[in-house]
Amino acid sequence: MSAFVSLDGVRKQWSHSVAVGPLSAEIRRGEILALLGPSGSGKTTVLRLLAGFETPDAGRILVAGEDVTSVPPAQRRCGMVFQHYALFPHLDVGENVAFGLSGRGRGEGERVAAKVAEVLALVGLDGFERRQVHELSGGQQQRVALARALAPEPRMLLLDEPLSNLDPSLRERTRRELRALIKRVGITTIFVTHEQEEAFDLGDRVAVLQAGRLEQLATPDELYERPASLFVATFVGRANVVRGATARALGARDGQVLVVRPERLRLGDAGVPGVVRERRYTGAAAFYQVETETGDRLEVLAGPEAAAVGDRVYLEPLRCLTFPEGPA
Amino acid sequence: MSARLGFGARAALTLLLAWLVLYPMLIVVREAAHADALRAFASRPGEWRALWASVWISVASVGLAAAIGVPLAFLFEWLEFPGRKTLGSFIALPAVLPPFVGVIAFQFLYGESGFVARAVQRLFGLEQAPWQLQGAGAILLVHAYSMYVYFYLLTRAGLAKLDGSMLEAAQALGAGRWETLGRVTLPLLRPSLAGAALLVFMTALGSFSAPYVFGGGFRVMTTQIVAAKLNGELSLAMVESMALALVTVLGLALLRRTEGDDVLTALGKGTAPRRRPIRRPGIRALATAAGWALAALLLLPHLTLGLVSLVPYASWTTETLPPLLSLVNYQRLFGEPERLRPLMNSLWMAAASTGAAMAVALAAGALVGRRRPWQFRGPIEALIALPWALPGTVFAVALMTAFGVHDPLRLRWVLVGTTVLLPLAYLARNLPVTGRAVLAGYRQLDPALEEAAASLGAGRGATFRRVTLPLLTPALAAGGSLAFVAALGDFVTSIVLYTPDNRPISIEIMSSLRVSELGVAAAFGVILMLVSAAVLGVGVRR
Repeated sequence: MSAFVSLDGVRKQWSHSVAVGPLSAEIRRGEILALLGPSGSGKTTVLRLLAGFETPDAGRILVAGEDVTSVPPAQRRCGMVFQHYALFPHLDVGENVAFGLSGRGRGEGERVAAKVAEVLALVGLDGFERRQVHELSGGQQQRVALARALAPEPRMLLLDEPLSNLDPSLRERTRRELRALIKRVGITTIFVTHEQEEAFDLGDRVAVLQAGRLEQLATPDELYERPASLFVATFVGRANVVRGATARALGARDGQVLVVRPERLRLGDAGVPGVVRERRYTGAAAFYQVETETGDRLEVLAGPEAAAVGDRVYLEPLRCLTFPEGPA
Repeated sequence: MSARLGFGARAALTLLLAWLVLYPMLIVVREAAHADALRAFASRPGEWRALWASVWISVASVGLAAAIGVPLAFLFEWLEFPGRKTLGSFIALPAVLPPFVGVIAFQFLYGESGFVARAVQRLFGLEQAPWQLQGAGAILLVHAYSMYVYFYLLTRAGLAKLDGSMLEAAQALGAGRWETLGRVTLPLLRPSLAGAALLVFMTALGSFSAPYVFGGGFRVMTTQIVAAKLNGELSLAMVESMALALVTVLGLALLRRTEGDDVLTALGKGTAPRRRPIRRPGIRALATAAGWALAALLLLPHLTLGLVSLVPYASWTTETLPPLLSLVNYQRLFGEPERLRPLMNSLWMAAASTGAAMAVALAAGALVGRRRPWQFRGPIEALIALPWALPGTVFAVALMTAFGVHDPLRLRWVLVGTTVLLPLAYLARNLPVTGRAVLAGYRQLDPALEEAAASLGAGRGATFRRVTLPLLTPALAAGGSLAFVAALGDFVTSIVLYTPDNRPISIEIMSSLRVSELGVAAAFGVILMLVSAAVLGVGVRR
């Protein structure tokens, strides 16, 4: 496999109990990789290690075959978009975008101006050069930050929670535009997010991190359908986690934890018996909380008229995942 | 910067600061600890009286300044009346009067041969001046005039941070207006009030100009120190310095404790209560009249100075108002090179010391402003703040003692009698104000901005030049202009450390007064005042 960026046993120790890694992963040229995980999982550290703001205590980072582990950020040629954008407040939009372009020589000024216009057009902000940064909306600021990062034509693009500062109503559209733009530029991109939807929508592949460890790196489909661990199964998508008698009734062996997604349970005529305790209507469908005879509660996604609260129902599993019971 | 280089730089800065601000104090402590000097100090009742006078004058100054400044702050922040905005800008007028210039303006105005005394004398046909501006009362008058500004500004800032809905909540819970004030507003203002009290107490304790000019037989510690130094009783001056420094540190510790935490910032900010217009026409007119009268009162010293600066030498004798006005004093001042020199001296020393203080502050900010590791952060910040806690006289005596001996092995050189020592003292005394401004500026700087610059290919130097420095400019301008104005008008340290080659303006004013050249002294004062106002106007923008 032709890896463009590789992390090779990278490790960063923050304190006695907090560490990231050792972590190994390979990212292909032109790929968009999402780093997904709960807060404190180390995803931002991984991004900062890639950018060069942190130096690993062990391991190597390679970009295009070159060992950049101890290359300072200024020479690493990584475009970075910060969570709060970090636009320079004393510079206007054009000056922000031109910051990373060297332009002191003769005729350089025109080349820089042309490049600034080009990347601003790329992000849909044609003619915004002389605007002040604080006059812009959140979405526009984000695009300026992106334009600034792309202007020096970096080898890879790093995004730290790129959409977290945007209005929720704006996020979905921005996400699609962002993906289209990155694919058009064709730049290898790594971004951090704690939202599964964002990771799935924007990323070609998703790396799930937990407590500083890489749990799984795979395509969204694979993560959802074939999670490598109980953590991935529960962190990615909704899932019922059952143990004991109910798990065995649904097909698990002793010592196994069973995970079943709400849409993979059917309210049928035979199966595990239970009583509907709650119904949460979402429009196109409804979530039903079903309590089994052993007291386990499972969530079922079914048609809005499938059952009513108090009904006796039978749960029929369509597809279950089992994991060995780990240390709790 | 590699970790080792950074460690070295931090250590070097710590040592430099320690040498400049802590070492001289330690030398004074050691030299003052001689039994003879201590006995001399302890056996003279005058010394104890002066020490006690310093303390009670300072406490009374705090009370007076609060009594004027706090109600004014409430008036201007909470009520709406004609001329509020204009008057609000007059309120800070005392700030552009350097202490010594303010004192002589007071003398021209309220002194026994000042305008007011003459007017009263004429009005009632008195044989003699109706009063003498002397003693504790005169000192307190000057202190109240110049120091209420601290209470006014800090209380207004505190009131502006107050959440109006908190006061409404108190009223909804059944508290009346006075109860709300006592149980909600004032407790929330405690940090502001304590901060202002601390500032006034420290300033009053270190105040030298007012006791020097108006004290007469009434002595406080700062004047005692300078008198002892002029009499050649250096060891006594050192013991006195130590005693005053001790009182200062004690007061600092005591007031710091009452300051408490800033609960308002912890709760996040709300919207300040709306200003209430004064509706009743009678009260409205009264408030307006009182406001303008106050403005006039505040502006009188400045006007007096301007007027006296136009009075030719010996042309004004018994008249209530000077009979002759001309620009002759200014012509002499700018025409005679000997007169111009003090102005030039003050300008270069203030500029050099401010530049150096800003450089030190920037170095401190770059080294410990924000980034890990935190080694030396505490010591560097403490050393930068230390000169603020020491009265100027004490610090001057310390520098004089430390740098009056040639002992390179102990890092001591003879600087007394050279032109270097006074700017060095200005530099040290300016460290707290530039340091605080720059360190605060650094802390407000988003570290992501520098990282963004680095990720765009800017090296350490380029990042500093293109991002950090431009963003720190407001903080630097504010700290630098305050420092420059303080150095330009300094009298306290100058009187101890000046040499004939670097006589600053304040000393020139003093000697002009001594030979009764009131007009020339006032002209110097006016120039000082105008330069200060211009520098502050440019540097400290809101």
